[in-house]
Amino acid sequence: MDVKFVNPFINAITTVLPQLGFLTITRGKLSTREKAMPSLGVTVLVGFTKSVRGNVAYNMTKEAACKIASTMMMGMPVADFDEMAQSAISELSNMVTANVATNLASMDFEVDISTPSLTLGENFSVKISDMQYLVIEMNIDGNLIEINMDLH
Amino acid sequence: MKEVRVLIVDDSKVSYMMLKKMLEKTNFKVCDHAKDSKEAVEKYQIHKPDIVTMDMNLPDGDGIETSRHILKLDPTAKILMISAMKDVSLMIKGRAAGIRSFLQKPVDANEFIDTLLLLYQNEMNLRNILEESYIKPLVKIFQRELFKLSGLQGKMMFEETVDTDFDVTGTGIILGLTGKTAGRIIIYATDTTMVEFARLVLNLSDDDDLSDEAAQDAFEEAANILMGNYVSKVNDVLKDNEIRIAPPGMISGTKIRILNAKLKSFKITAKTRIGDLEMNVGFAGRQD
Repeated sequence: MDVKFVNPFINAITTVLPQLGFLTITRGKLSTREKAMPSLGVTVLVGFTKSVRGNVAYNMTKEAACKIASTMMMGMPVADFDEMAQSAISELSNMVTANVATNLASMDFEVDISTPSLTLGENFSVKISDMQYLVIEMNIDGNLIEINMDLH
Repeated sequence: MKEVRVLIVDDSKVSYMMLKKMLEKTNFKVCDHAKDSKEAVEKYQIHKPDIVTMDMNLPDGDGIETSRHILKLDPTAKILMISAMKDVSLMIKGRAAGIRSFLQKPVDANEFIDTLLLLYQNEMNLRNILEESYIKPLVKIFQRELFKLSGLQGKMMFEETVDTDFDVTGTGIILGLTGKTAGRIIIYATDTTMVEFARLVLNLSDDDDLSDEAAQDAFEEAANILMGNYVSKVNDVLKDNEIRIAPPGMISGTKIRILNAKLKSFKITAKTRIGDLEMNVGFAGRQD
């Protein structure tokens, strides 16, 4: 766990999301976690390699994922987490994480990111680390995205 | 390279002529021109072209809907979308419909040819490259490491599982892959099989206790060792590749849907006396 990796994420979200049509982006609380976390319904895992290694899990409810997808599709109604919504959330995590990678590069960390793994379910847990790791809550137009990160 | 046939879908005669001119003196041969959505679908069926270039705005529909029609008729159709502006929502819709390549107007001749070349070669070769260079070695290493770690003899099977979501009930270890061949691997088993496997790996007798958490840790460690060996083997053989694996993540629960969002994926199963150990490998494509 390293707090110096928090800002690259916050910067990425506040840079990328306004370009996708989101208006109000605020940071919620920052906390730590240990071991597994409950998935809120939709969890996207992205792996980091090279000079910073670890995993990031973007965690959100299905409802939040649908609303976020809808904004990305210029307000098109998204009632179900269908193929279109999945593609949107996948694209979003790609864009944000790629921006994080750029931010890290400017801090002299060369990183590579993996393909996002999209997982979905009613009742499951996700573990990204055996140690303590950081959780940043971001509020995106009233929708919560929880960023769980274990990078070092 | 053999001649590659291209169908150009564009309502503008000028755009069509420009694209056609760019492909003169190349191995890409324009087989026909469709001026609207209806004609595009009809002419696709007549010519069965190798590649379709698709304009976004058509008089009787949009390029995405048209692509959807074509992909319904032929899921292997290779479509290059050409649009006036870079628009994320358009790309999301396009990807969801199964379009793999996008270009922006005005189209640059070199970029156009490069994109067509990549689209053609990637799609034709990707499956073979992946299967021969990545999957077959993985099947062998999976079987060998399984035996070394647990003494289990696995009866191995693999199949391609394109665009199929699947469910995990039990425990799954997710490992991201980076490098020229980016992707992700999930190794999973039911909890009963996972615990039995962990007991074998840890060499426990029937009297020894094993908590679920310790079993999951052993499973994760075994997956990590297996993939570490695999990656170093692949990197040894394919020198320019430099695949790296991210540290493992773990999912645990019932009916966890894994979305295979447009990945080229393969499922490998090791059938053993304690149950199936399964692996799903998904590649996003190559960044050459």
